[in-house]
Amino acid sequence: MTAVVDRVSTGPGPTVPRPEARDSKKRRRLLESLEGWGFVAPALVIVLGLSIFPAIWAFFLSLEKWNGFSEPVNVGFANYQQMVGDTELQDALGHTILYVVLFVPTSVGLGLFLAVALNRNIRFIGIYRTAIFIPFVASAAVTGILTTYLFNPQFGLFNNILRVLGLPQQGWLEDPAQAMVVITIMSLWGQAAFTTVIYLAALQDMPGELMEAARIDGANKWQVFWQVVWPQLTPVTVFATIWQVIGAIQLFDLVYTTTRGGPLNATQTIVYYLWQTAFQKLDFGFGSAIAYGLFALTLLITIGVVIYSRRTKIEAF
Amino acid sequence: MVSRIFSSNSGVRRWIAGSAALLVGVALLSGCSGQSGGSATLDKKAKVSLTVWTGQEEGAEKLLEKLAAKFEKLHPNVSLNLSPGASSTEDLLQKLSASFAGGNYPDMSYSFGSWTSQLESSDRTLDITKQVADPSVKWSEFSKAAQETARPTGKKTIGFPAIVDNLALLYNKTVFDNAGVAYPTNDWTWDDFRAAAKKLTDKSKHIYGYAYSVSGSEETTWQLWPHLWQNGGAILSKDGTKSAFNSEAGVKSVNFLRDMAITDKSVYLDQTDTKFGQLFASDDIGMITSGPWQLYDLGVAKTRYGVTYLPGTNGNHATVSGPDVWALFDHKDANRAYWTYEWAKYLTDPAQDLQWNVAIGNLPLRSSEADSPEFAAQVKANPGLDVMAANSANATTARPTVAGYVGLSAAIGDAVSQVLQGQGTADAALTTAAAKADKALKAK
Repeated sequence: MTAVVDRVSTGPGPTVPRPEARDSKKRRRLLESLEGWGFVAPALVIVLGLSIFPAIWAFFLSLEKWNGFSEPVNVGFANYQQMVGDTELQDALGHTILYVVLFVPTSVGLGLFLAVALNRNIRFIGIYRTAIFIPFVASAAVTGILTTYLFNPQFGLFNNILRVLGLPQQGWLEDPAQAMVVITIMSLWGQAAFTTVIYLAALQDMPGELMEAARIDGANKWQVFWQVVWPQLTPVTVFATIWQVIGAIQLFDLVYTTTRGGPLNATQTIVYYLWQTAFQKLDFGFGSAIAYGLFALTLLITIGVVIYSRRTKIEAF
Repeated sequence: MVSRIFSSNSGVRRWIAGSAALLVGVALLSGCSGQSGGSATLDKKAKVSLTVWTGQEEGAEKLLEKLAAKFEKLHPNVSLNLSPGASSTEDLLQKLSASFAGGNYPDMSYSFGSWTSQLESSDRTLDITKQVADPSVKWSEFSKAAQETARPTGKKTIGFPAIVDNLALLYNKTVFDNAGVAYPTNDWTWDDFRAAAKKLTDKSKHIYGYAYSVSGSEETTWQLWPHLWQNGGAILSKDGTKSAFNSEAGVKSVNFLRDMAITDKSVYLDQTDTKFGQLFASDDIGMITSGPWQLYDLGVAKTRYGVTYLPGTNGNHATVSGPDVWALFDHKDANRAYWTYEWAKYLTDPAQDLQWNVAIGNLPLRSSEADSPEFAAQVKANPGLDVMAANSANATTARPTVAGYVGLSAAIGDAVSQVLQGQGTADAALTTAAAKADKALKAK
C-alpha cells in the first residue's frame, strides 16, 4: 500500500513539488508508518520478547558456564568444543537419526496411502476423514500417556493380545532395542494424519482430465497412479518430507512423557539431552550450545533442500 | 514484501518508529521485575510480608497454611504468603533460578538436599550459623546428615532441615509365607538377603525376591551408596573435588547387585522408579529397600509387610538419608531476614513439626519427637515407621551436596543400570562413570 504512495510521490512529473507540500506529505507518511507500527507493535513485542530475544540470549549463554544461580563465567567457544568430544551427544544424535529414518519415510508413505484411500466418493467419507485427523489434534503428551498404557509390559493391551495368541511377551518401551520403534509408532498415530491431509488436498486439486486421458490411452489403475498422479505429487512429497524431518529432529514431548530417555538412554534424542543438560544438570551454557548446533543442522538441511528443489524445478517452496 | 520495505524512502524513519515501539515493549517487560531495598536496621514491630514456596502437595500444603495462620496470630505484623511455588517439588529449582534472574525470589523455599550448594552459590541465601548455635534452637536434635545438608559447603548455614528420611528394608509377609522363608531381622547380612531373595523368586508366577530401579536416576544411584559405605568406600575424595566410588568397594558393591540380577535372576529391574512399589504392594515382590513415603500406599493396599534396618556388612548397617531443607533467602532487609528466620525456627520446632511432618506420615524431624503420643499414633497407623525413625541413627554419612553431584549421580546411575542389564563389567562401567563424574565435579 505504501509502495503505491511512494511511486506516486516520486513518479515522473512536470513540476517539482513546493517545500510546504513536501513537508505535509512527509508528515502524512510518518503518521501512516506510525499507524502501521502501532498495529503490529503488540504482536512484535510478543514475537521479539518470546522468541527472538531468548534466541539471542541463548547465544550469549552458549559462550558462558552458568548453573542458573552463581555468577556466569565467560568461556568463549569452550562449550562448542565440548560438543565435539561428548559421547553422550553423539549417542543422542545417533538415536535422533534412527528416529528420523524410522519415522519420516513411514509417515510420508502412510499419509500417501491413507490419502489415496480417502480420496473417493464413498458413504460416510467425512467421518473417516475426521477419524483419521483427530489424533493429530491430540497433544503429544496425551498420546504418550495413553499409549504407555497400551504398551505396558505387565498389564498392557498389546502384551495381553500376544498372550492370548500364545506369542512371547515383549518389553516394548522397557526394551532398549524396541523402545524407539514403539515411540515411532506412537508418533505415527498422530503425525500420519498431517501428511494425509496434505496429500488429500493435493489429490483433490489434481485435474481429473489427466487421469481420464491416461485411462483412454489404455493405462491401468496402477499405471495411472505411478505415471500420472505420483509425479504431480512430487512438490507435496518434498515439502512433507522436509517438514517431517524438521519435526522429527526436534522429538522431545513423546520421549518426556513415556521413557524419559531410557531404557539405557536408548531413546535419548538431541532435544531431550539438551533439556536434561540445561534444566536437570543445570549447565545452561552447554545446553544453549547444543541448541545452536541443532539450529545449524536444521538450517543446513533446509537450505540444501531448497537449493535442490530450485535446481530441479520442483516447486515445493 | 520485505524488499519493498527496505527500498521505500521512509525505511529509516520506520526503523526509528519501530525501535520506539520496541523500547516501549522492553519497558513493559522489565516493569515486572525490580525490587526496592529494605531497611538496614531491625524493627521487630514493622509490618513484614514474606513469600514462602513449600513445594508440597495439597494435603501437606494445607497443614503448613494452618501453622502459618497460627504464626500470624502470634505476630500480627507478619503476613505469610504460602504457595507450593511450582507444580511439583522438582520444578522448584527451575522456578528459583528464574526468580533469581528476575530479582523476585521468595523469602523461604523448600529445597531438595542436592540443590543446596547451588543455592548457596547464588549469594542470595541467609547465613544463620550464629542464630542456630543458640542452645534453645537445639540444633543437635537434627540428624547429622540433615545438619550437614543445611550447611552444604560447611561455611554457611542456609536454612533448617525440612524433611528427613532414610532407606530401610521392607518385606512382604505374604510372599515370605508362601515361599516358607523366615522373615528378615535387624541383624541380617547381605548374604542372608541374597539367599532369601533367591528362594522367594518364582519365575513361573512372576514373583521376584528384590527390586532395583534401573532408570539411571537418583533412585538408582542412592540405593548403591549404603553398599558402598558398608564396604568401606566413599563417594567423593576427602577434599570433595574428585569422585572416589571407582574403588574396590565400589566394584564389590556393583558386582553384588549384578550377581543377584544376572546370576540369581532374583531382582525385578524397574525402568520407572515407581512400578516396583506397586508390585511390592500387590505381593509380586518379596523385598524392597525404600522409605517412609512407601508406607501410606501399603496401608491403602492392605499389604502385610514388615520393616527392618538394611542388611549389614560386619555389623555395619549404614543407610542413606535424603534430607531436604527450608532454604532462607536474603533480601538485604533486616526485618524480613529476622522474621524469615523466626518462622523457619517456629515451623521446625518439635511442637509444630508434630503437626505437619509427623501428621502426614513423615519421620519426625527431631530425635526428641520420637517419644511423643502423636508419633506413637502414626506408628500404629503405619507400622514400621518407628523402625525407620530408629534407623536414622544408621544414617551416619551424608549424601554429598556439592554442585557437581547431579552430574555424578547421572553417571553412576547409568553405570549401575548398564551392568544390571548385562552390559559390560562393573569395573569398566565404574571407570567410565568416574571420568564423567570428575568432569561434572570440575565444571562447577
